[in-house]
Amino acid sequence: MRNEIELEAIIEDYLKGKLTAEERVAFEQLRGNDPVVDHKVVAHKVFLDSMAQYAHVVKLKEQMDAAHSQIDVAALAENLRPHPSKLVKLWRNNRSAVAIAASFILLAMVSLYSIQSNNKQAGTFEAMSKDMARLRSTQNTLIRDIKTREANNNSNNNNNNNNARFGGTGFAISGNGYIVTNYHVVRGADSVYVQNSNGSYKAKSFYSDPVNDIAILKISDKRFESLPALPYTIKRGTSGIGESVFTLGFPKDDIVLGDGYVSSRNGINGDTLAYQVAIPVNPGNSGGPLLDNSGNVVGIINGKENKTDGATFAVKSKYIMEALNAVPQDSLSRKVSYGKKSSLRGLKRNKQVQKMQDYVFMIKVYNNN
Amino acid sequence: MSIKFSSDIPTDREVVLGILNNSVEALNKLYLAYFPMVLQFILNNSGDEDDAKDVYQESIIVLYNKVRSGNFELSSKLKTYIYSVSRRIWLKKLTQQSRKTNNIADFEDVLAVDDNVELHEEKDMQFDKMKVALDSLGEPCKTIIQDFYIHNHSMQEICEKFGYTNTDNAKTQKYKCLQRLKKLFFQS
Repeated sequence: MRNEIELEAIIEDYLKGKLTAEERVAFEQLRGNDPVVDHKVVAHKVFLDSMAQYAHVVKLKEQMDAAHSQIDVAALAENLRPHPSKLVKLWRNNRSAVAIAASFILLAMVSLYSIQSNNKQAGTFEAMSKDMARLRSTQNTLIRDIKTREANNNSNNNNNNNNARFGGTGFAISGNGYIVTNYHVVRGADSVYVQNSNGSYKAKSFYSDPVNDIAILKISDKRFESLPALPYTIKRGTSGIGESVFTLGFPKDDIVLGDGYVSSRNGINGDTLAYQVAIPVNPGNSGGPLLDNSGNVVGIINGKENKTDGATFAVKSKYIMEALNAVPQDSLSRKVSYGKKSSLRGLKRNKQVQKMQDYVFMIKVYNNN
Repeated sequence: MSIKFSSDIPTDREVVLGILNNSVEALNKLYLAYFPMVLQFILNNSGDEDDAKDVYQESIIVLYNKVRSGNFELSSKLKTYIYSVSRRIWLKKLTQQSRKTNNIADFEDVLAVDDNVELHEEKDMQFDKMKVALDSLGEPCKTIIQDFYIHNHSMQEICEKFGYTNTDNAKTQKYKCLQRLKKLFFQS
């Protein structure tokens, strides 16, 4: 009994590392020789480890209980308990999911909005009549040219002192002096002159259609000689996207050819009255004919978008026909034909322009005020 | 509707250092910092305040053992670790009580901590065994053993406390107690 107590004490001291080096060697020898002692050592080690762990956990629990007593558990629990209201419960349980869903909705709205605003053409429509008053000094000479030429022509007008306020383009729709142009070119005009390579003639407004931006002028000048049969015809159907088109116009004193293609079936902001065409145009091109390769008039240039390059708009030929129907048919001699084969068909562009240019007029508009 | 956790939450480093240094203050801070989180989880998953206390304390013990064992790497936030361990422990308890464990309402991210929890369960079993053994030891043995092994009192102190005439008597008594305890502990 006594020995066993001693042995136990030694084992304990051995495990705790309290033995001196000498005792330790001696004890390890004993342990090596006696399996019973060895077993006791192992068992005691397991026990001591468990005891240490137990002691540790007990201590920890004591400390935690002390900490726990500082917490007002009841109040906290009241706050955190599942809420009777299902909505609050749902919110608490799915806070992150709700947040994600909300951000997705927000994102969707933002992207939807941006798509929508992208769809809207940001630019605004700019009519292509030439505002002479706003032209810079370099172009003032041009106005003077106009005036001197008029003086030379001895035209029987009484407005030599007036400035040509606006300029545009028009084209003949009959041999006897009916000319189509844009309504906005001649709007508010006191007097209108048209000019081609043969001369300048006084004209008067005969018909106007502000909705479709079409006006028909009648040359009232006696000096005007009837034109030969018109080389072009008016296209009956609509033109498809990609169809090559060209226009003739007077952005300056000489006739200018513009070449391009139909880029959209509709005009600005989905305007179904007009095509969008990719043709560079400038003030003065308004009212010019838009023709396809076969020499059919598919539209009238009437404006462009001021923020986008190459987005020009042209009134569809269908509305030219409607306007023509407003003119008494017996007053039109050698009038333009619809949907027939044009004599420009199959010609090279330079020949087409050559044949056409007598039928395209520069329109000059004078205002007295 | 954000739930405020108590005033100052210690940094994760602070806590780990505190655990390694046996700092009572660090434990206190840690305990106060994350208890509401676990309480919320337990309350919302068919438990009560006492369950929360048990589970939370267990998860802190898991954390302590993990940190003390030296292979604790802070790969996530301590908060997430504690939450995940508490969650695992509570789900196991629910399963043991054969209550439904689907449709768990979660409030934080969850880590995979199964290994940690299983390791802890082994240790917990040892703890329970020791506890049962000690409880069935009876007085004065229980106190003598506790004083000697847990509170690290010397034999001299124990001798005086229990009024033994000499240390040898105390030693004999302790030896007897220890033999019984070991028997109980290893048998169970």
